[in-house]
Amino acid sequence: MSCPFAPARTGPSRRSLLAGAGGLLASAGVGASARAASQEVAVDAAAREMFFGEHQGGIATSQQANSYFVAFDLVAKTRDEVTTMLRLWTDAAARMTAGETASPLGQDLSTEGPDGASALGLSPARLTLTFGFGAGLFMKDGVDRYRLAAKRPEALVDLPKFNGDQLQPARTGGDISVQACADDPQVTFHAVRELDRLSYGAAQIRWAQSGFLPRTPPGETPRNLMGFKDGTNNPRISDPATMNKIIWVGAEGPDWMRGGSYVVFRRIRIALEHWDRMKVAFQEETVGRKKYSGAPLGAEGEFDPVDLDRTDAEDNPVIAENAHIRLAAAAQNGGARILRRGYSYNDGVNFTTERWPPWRQGMEYDAGLFFVCYQRDPRTGFIKVFDKMAKFDMLNQFVTHVGGGLFACPGGIAEGAFLGQALFDRA
Amino acid sequence: MTGHRDIFSRDCGRATLLGALAAFTALLPQAATSAPQPASFLEGIHRQTTLTSTVPDNGDQNPYAIVVAPVSAGSIQKDDVLVTNFNNAGNLQGLGTTIVDFNPTTKKLSTFATLPRDLPQCPGGVGLTTAMTMLKTGWVIVGSAPSADGTTATKGAGCLIVLDQNGKVAGTIANDKINMPWGNMATIDDGQTATLFVSNAGFGVGSPEGDPRVVNAETVLRIKLSIPDGKPPAVVDETIVGSGFGAQPNKDVFVIGPTGLALGPNDTLYVSDATGNRITAIWDATTRDHSAGVGRTVTKDGLLQRPLAMTTAPNGHLLVTNAQNGQVVEVDPASGEQIRARWIDPNKAQKPPGSGDLFGIAMTPAGDGFYYVEDEANTLVLAR
Repeated sequence: MSCPFAPARTGPSRRSLLAGAGGLLASAGVGASARAASQEVAVDAAAREMFFGEHQGGIATSQQANSYFVAFDLVAKTRDEVTTMLRLWTDAAARMTAGETASPLGQDLSTEGPDGASALGLSPARLTLTFGFGAGLFMKDGVDRYRLAAKRPEALVDLPKFNGDQLQPARTGGDISVQACADDPQVTFHAVRELDRLSYGAAQIRWAQSGFLPRTPPGETPRNLMGFKDGTNNPRISDPATMNKIIWVGAEGPDWMRGGSYVVFRRIRIALEHWDRMKVAFQEETVGRKKYSGAPLGAEGEFDPVDLDRTDAEDNPVIAENAHIRLAAAAQNGGARILRRGYSYNDGVNFTTERWPPWRQGMEYDAGLFFVCYQRDPRTGFIKVFDKMAKFDMLNQFVTHVGGGLFACPGGIAEGAFLGQALFDRA
Repeated sequence: MTGHRDIFSRDCGRATLLGALAAFTALLPQAATSAPQPASFLEGIHRQTTLTSTVPDNGDQNPYAIVVAPVSAGSIQKDDVLVTNFNNAGNLQGLGTTIVDFNPTTKKLSTFATLPRDLPQCPGGVGLTTAMTMLKTGWVIVGSAPSADGTTATKGAGCLIVLDQNGKVAGTIANDKINMPWGNMATIDDGQTATLFVSNAGFGVGSPEGDPRVVNAETVLRIKLSIPDGKPPAVVDETIVGSGFGAQPNKDVFVIGPTGLALGPNDTLYVSDATGNRITAIWDATTRDHSAGVGRTVTKDGLLQRPLAMTTAPNGHLLVTNAQNGQVVEVDPASGEQIRARWIDPNKAQKPPGSGDLFGIAMTPAGDGFYYVEDEANTLVLAR
């Protein structure tokens, strides 16, 4: 049976445009068609992250420069409506990560376009789409809408209220999360828009957050908006043993979560105006690292071990008792580790009151860190690490958590299957 | 004019210890020939240790009052440290409703009282201040300087709230002599009777918008209580023993007003006058039947940087926290000499370091150190 949406019968795909562009460039010389074909392969290899596999993309993926996160509330009346949406999402996500439009473009211009075309001609830019299920999928307001309540994983807990939390309902929670990451901000936004289109009637956007990273040379740790290198001590994503131990859900989880992970998002507003007026030495004391080199205090190199026991001549700890990296260190948290994969965000300015003396009020940057972390179990990951930090971290006098959520990201998707299929098949 | 000796920073903790030992040995031969000079209490303080976050489950912030429990009663163990919160979880001042209880032995923090935000007998509702005491009979009395929006623009006169030993409201004290009871209480507790000294910071105070002037209408009120067996304290007498203190509404810190109260020898009550940047003395504090005005100035300016809560060290010196830096200042009230200051909150996130961070202070039961709060971190700290 022939595919009714075969590319030959439709408009251009994003890939064919790329190939065409290569062809145009190559046409100046001999062997144009052969070069065009090879260039298309070369572009895809460098710019494409695999969608199908053991794990979802966007977790153990070398971090892209841009992110667009969106949390949806489900409004679907039935489980079938949910699975229909997930099938559509899966197909569209597979296409978009391969550089295709979300759906094949038709030739009929009198109808709604199957894709908004905002990424037409663009490279997939290593697009990944990472999906997560929130508590609301399993039970919402005491109602088991989709007969899934019994399937809620134990690890998908309700995040406790942490010290200093100022979470806004409009930026918190959601039934399903989608995080698009790519090296092109238009590609991420395009992907989310297309998924949103496909969810009409089944889900609606609750909140969204874009993010970015600096263009840091490969192998270097990117700096955050506070000017510090952020992510130095992350687990190595290229080390399967570490990932299996810390990040991927194993036999302890339900089958649909095996090879998956739990993601915590936190929108963390940073009082950048306040921070920028601090002496560099005090900033370093607060973080526990040297600002310019990234080295832990008391060490020389960025990747030198963090020596929490080291003291100065007067017996004071070189890394302060409430320094950020001390409280975050695995050694201080019973070995708990998480994979941080956050992005900076910048949403302009608005009126705010700082939470600390001198309680400055005025128009300030609504900018900071869109913190993202993955772990095998949030109870032994983020919750354990952050409980003490929320109370004592010196950095707390510059940051406020104003939104976030916890989602269960199912394991990877096999070709022909759809996202989280095992959860619904067995429900 | 008063003098001062030196300033020790937290970084000099070890040096301070050695200095203290040297000073002690140096005094020995002197003691044989002349009256010993009053030693510095702060010289013997070596280190600050964070004990606990003071944030309860409801997220209240901005710790103010510190009271060390004189007895075990209900859920409170003797020597527990009670701390009020002035802000709610949204960090609005004058809306905090909780008192937390830190047990120094178990290191556990619990919530002693969560009061209703609206208390009909308390004009404006509940926003718990630095005015708190616990009586030997187990009753806790705490002040309220409430606001609806976190500023004095919507303030109420507030009240004193009487709590039982389980943190339940047993009564209120509200009348025209009480308006935003603010500063740390000085208490004389004889069991069946007690005398409280309370500073008010709300008379004539309005909105902080614009450039509000200092209103010299604040008072220190003496309240005599009788405490019948098993019954809440009852007011026997109220007398204004001090008056004419300044108060100024402030967008950042709510209000600047008389805050510290401490009793000394010879029936003297010391008052920290924040707007006047001084400490004054009111004589015949327990017996006088009329106001002494602002009293006699003991010390002014120098190391004082808008003095707040105050307590008395075992050597009879006053320890007073500064609002405009992170220092505690030791004052010999007999001579008016400012003995020294110690930077107990050197947080450089504020300029000068620690500015706006300190408030309540209370001696440890053993008298070997003192508790204080860090408002920027919402923590209780022990200096010893």
